[in-house]
Amino acid sequence: MSAQPVNTGELAVVGARVRKVDGRELVTGQARFAADLRFPGLLYASARRAGVPAGKLVEVDPSPALRLPGVVAVLLARDIPGPNLIGILPPFDQPLLAAGEVRYEGESLALAVGVSREEARRGAAAVRARIEPWEPILTVEQALDPAARRIHPGGNVTYSKKLVKGDVAQGFAGAQVVVENTYQTSFQEHAYLEPEAVVAVPGGDGRITVYASCQSPFHLRGHIAANLGLPASRVRVVQAYTGGSFGGKDDVATEIGALAAIAAVRLGVPVMIAHEREESIIGSNLRHAARIRYRTGALRDGTLVAGEAEILLDGGAYASESPFVTMKAMIHAAGPYRVPNVRVESTTVYTNKTYCGAFRGFGVPQVTFASESQMDELAAALGLDPLELRRRNALRPGEGTATGQVFTQSVGIGRTIERVAEKAGPRPMGPKPAEGPPAGAQPATDGGRYLYGRGVACLLQGISNGAEGIDVVGASVQMAQDGSALVGVGLTDMGQGSRTVFAQVAAEALGVDITRITVRQVDTDAVHDSGPTVASRSTTVGGTAVLKAAREVAGSLRSMAGLMLKCPPEAVRLAEGFAMLEADPQARIPLAEVATAAYWSGFPLMHLAFSRAPDARFDHETHQGDIYIAYNFGTHLMDVRVDRWTGKVKVLRHLAAHDVGRVVNPLGLEGQVEGGSLIGFALAHLERIDTEGGHIRNANFADYAVPSILDRLPTETLVVEEPSPAGPFGAKGVGEPPVAGAAAAFANAVADATGLRFTRLPITRADIAAALAKEV
Amino acid sequence: MQLEFTCNGRPVRMQADGSMRALDLLRDLLGLTGTKEGCGRGECGACTILVDGSPVNACLLYAAKLQGRAVLTVEGLAKGEVLHPLQEAFLEEGAVQCGYCTPGLLLSSKALLDRVPHPTDPEIEQALSGNLCRCTGYAKILKAVQRAADRAGRGDGTSRRGREAGR
Ligand code: FES
Ligand code: FES
Repeated sequence: MSAQPVNTGELAVVGARVRKVDGRELVTGQARFAADLRFPGLLYASARRAGVPAGKLVEVDPSPALRLPGVVAVLLARDIPGPNLIGILPPFDQPLLAAGEVRYEGESLALAVGVSREEARRGAAAVRARIEPWEPILTVEQALDPAARRIHPGGNVTYSKKLVKGDVAQGFAGAQVVVENTYQTSFQEHAYLEPEAVVAVPGGDGRITVYASCQSPFHLRGHIAANLGLPASRVRVVQAYTGGSFGGKDDVATEIGALAAIAAVRLGVPVMIAHEREESIIGSNLRHAARIRYRTGALRDGTLVAGEAEILLDGGAYASESPFVTMKAMIHAAGPYRVPNVRVESTTVYTNKTYCGAFRGFGVPQVTFASESQMDELAAALGLDPLELRRRNALRPGEGTATGQVFTQSVGIGRTIERVAEKAGPRPMGPKPAEGPPAGAQPATDGGRYLYGRGVACLLQGISNGAEGIDVVGASVQMAQDGSALVGVGLTDMGQGSRTVFAQVAAEALGVDITRITVRQVDTDAVHDSGPTVASRSTTVGGTAVLKAAREVAGSLRSMAGLMLKCPPEAVRLAEGFAMLEADPQARIPLAEVATAAYWSGFPLMHLAFSRAPDARFDHETHQGDIYIAYNFGTHLMDVRVDRWTGKVKVLRHLAAHDVGRVVNPLGLEGQVEGGSLIGFALAHLERIDTEGGHIRNANFADYAVPSILDRLPTETLVVEEPSPAGPFGAKGVGEPPVAGAAAAFANAVADATGLRFTRLPITRADIAAALAKEV
Repeated sequence: MQLEFTCNGRPVRMQADGSMRALDLLRDLLGLTGTKEGCGRGECGACTILVDGSPVNACLLYAAKLQGRAVLTVEGLAKGEVLHPLQEAFLEEGAVQCGYCTPGLLLSSKALLDRVPHPTDPEIEQALSGNLCRCTGYAKILKAVQRAADRAGRGDGTSRRGREAGR
């Protein structure tokens, strides 16, 4: 990346603590989520699920359902006009309605359409399915057994890749200390509060509109059109207000979007599919469970010389985002450190369980837990302070990542470590510190019931699609004659606040108040395809496109104002809703007047601009090369108190420092860090999808422990700003990174408090109590 | 059955199946879709409404139970264009991300502040422990409720934290 300086001059709106631009409709109940939409003649649809994890689908008989009053129709696989396939990376492998074979219990076999939600559900339940059950393949080992039944024709390996940097054998030969361990993580559910929902509305013009709770509307449009057997131009997808997604409303939204559209076209009326919570958990993707064998070699002074990891991910029944999660986990496995010799093998396999895909962090939380546990084990072996070990190895500008990519700027890992070190304060101790053992070497204790500990973790998270494909965003900015502006970007806001970020960027460039900016909801008829809303790329790549488009419009306004103020356009500044002379701000014209004059004079007030991240360039055998346009770097610290008797952990302190390039909205930033950290904490301590014989046993919020307000973290967000040339005003995304930081810091804090290294997430209260009981 | 109750201050008189869920009656028959469904089992709080001032999960309530009661939904919080102090505070503090939990949280918070105008943190936690939020991490929700309570003031010119410090 070139070392051009990033403009960080005085800004009016970017960097300000602003309210969500779409907040008002959310607090008044006026925002319409997909299941809130009503249309005349609306019917409801519900899927008959397989209920068994594997088997031959012999027959699906809709007649019992069709005999029920209120059931209008039942769709089977043969009623799907198109290929009956969805997925992320071709060749797609996931059917909308199963035909011939059942690969997981949540598989949809038939779609019942009824006059009410209840009647649709009753219809679905009445559909008779004859399945000859097969022995399900439930573990990674079973799947990899050469004699195993093939879940898909190509075998049971979904994807497998290698990263090779330097020579690990040589690296380990020179190592003075080596640590090795195997770590595991469990399936995690997104648990966005709004279950998936879509409504498909056929239009009189032969087109169909699908309103969806979703993350990537253009991806939906493609799959819906294909499965309808129509060109994409006949399908319009409008993103409804979306009640959280975190990576989860992609495959499942395409699945139900396409099914609802097929039913709607067939019946000529609007059709809604709205999942119940249980369906949402069983029938949509999870975070991959992982097993990671890790080995790290270092010199006695702590210098890392070699890292080797073997990552095995359980991807469940379908590929979904597995290929990209496989890669992302691999690319991040060595952490934000300078490691000359790295070798990582990363593999995802199919099993007969709910499929896994994107979930905030995308493979990085799993590997960060492993690599940061290694760092602590290494620190212990070397007798070094954990933070000091990290400090000594932290990447610096000009040094290569695990893929050999060199960033000459915006490498803030060292500064996040220092921020945390400054803020950390004394180690946590019990109420009677005088009686406890000295801090550091042994677990601190108050001599009785509680153990105290501190954990730190460093991380990096790549921003942009990177190795996953081309990264282009199109954004339009359109100024009206009253000086207000309409912004359209093909990236979605699912609650994370990207509409607010885009509004700030446009307001900054146009010199207007943020209330003068409207950011459209994504409508595939009205905005440019901008690829998927993933990889923490909205602020960085999306924001850059908005900035470019807004600057073009600002250029028109400046030219017009120059004519009006009789000066060259360069002498005009746009600020505070005026065009003014740079040299004499009192000479000013309201922007509405300039815009009106520009309109009549033919200066274009609408512009479409593109931001294209440089393509990833790397060797596909070794994954050496330039992958991402930037990395977010972070350091987290957690102080915990562990109750020896119950295993209960209280987080006393949580510092989360991230290098975000440039803060766009402190309020939004803190929200991302606090929310992401709690999901990471839940991954590390509370949440686990329990499966038994291929069935999920805790598909509800009573048994699946989503954190409540009682579990909230005392997160303090610490900001480091190392501007990146890749983002608007230097900004880098921050949606995903906190998950990994909080999860890994928690594990290290518990290890520090208890003196026991837990190698499997979640480290539940019961795990801790049981392990401590064994100790005495 | 014939149902009569007040909803957001207005009298409602209607024919409805008393065994339907109050949640469906509000959303499907009255068009008040601000009340959300997150689980349908009383486990998430997204469907929280106030019935005679007390928070209730509308997904577990029979419509018949609304008979003669006063119901408040999120649509009834603002006075015209003027937002309720809790709504303002939620926006100001960034307590809203996707907003799906927000209606329920606003109503649980209102029930609390009506009962306890200046709650302590544990009182807030207790009152909101049945309302899940997956986006925010909760810290900003707690702050928003504190802020709304502070703003409601006590008329004696002291802030809540000032008083607590003095206690
Ligand atoms: S929908 Fe009523 S508590 Fe979840
Ligand atoms: S803001 Fe999304 S669930 Fe609370």
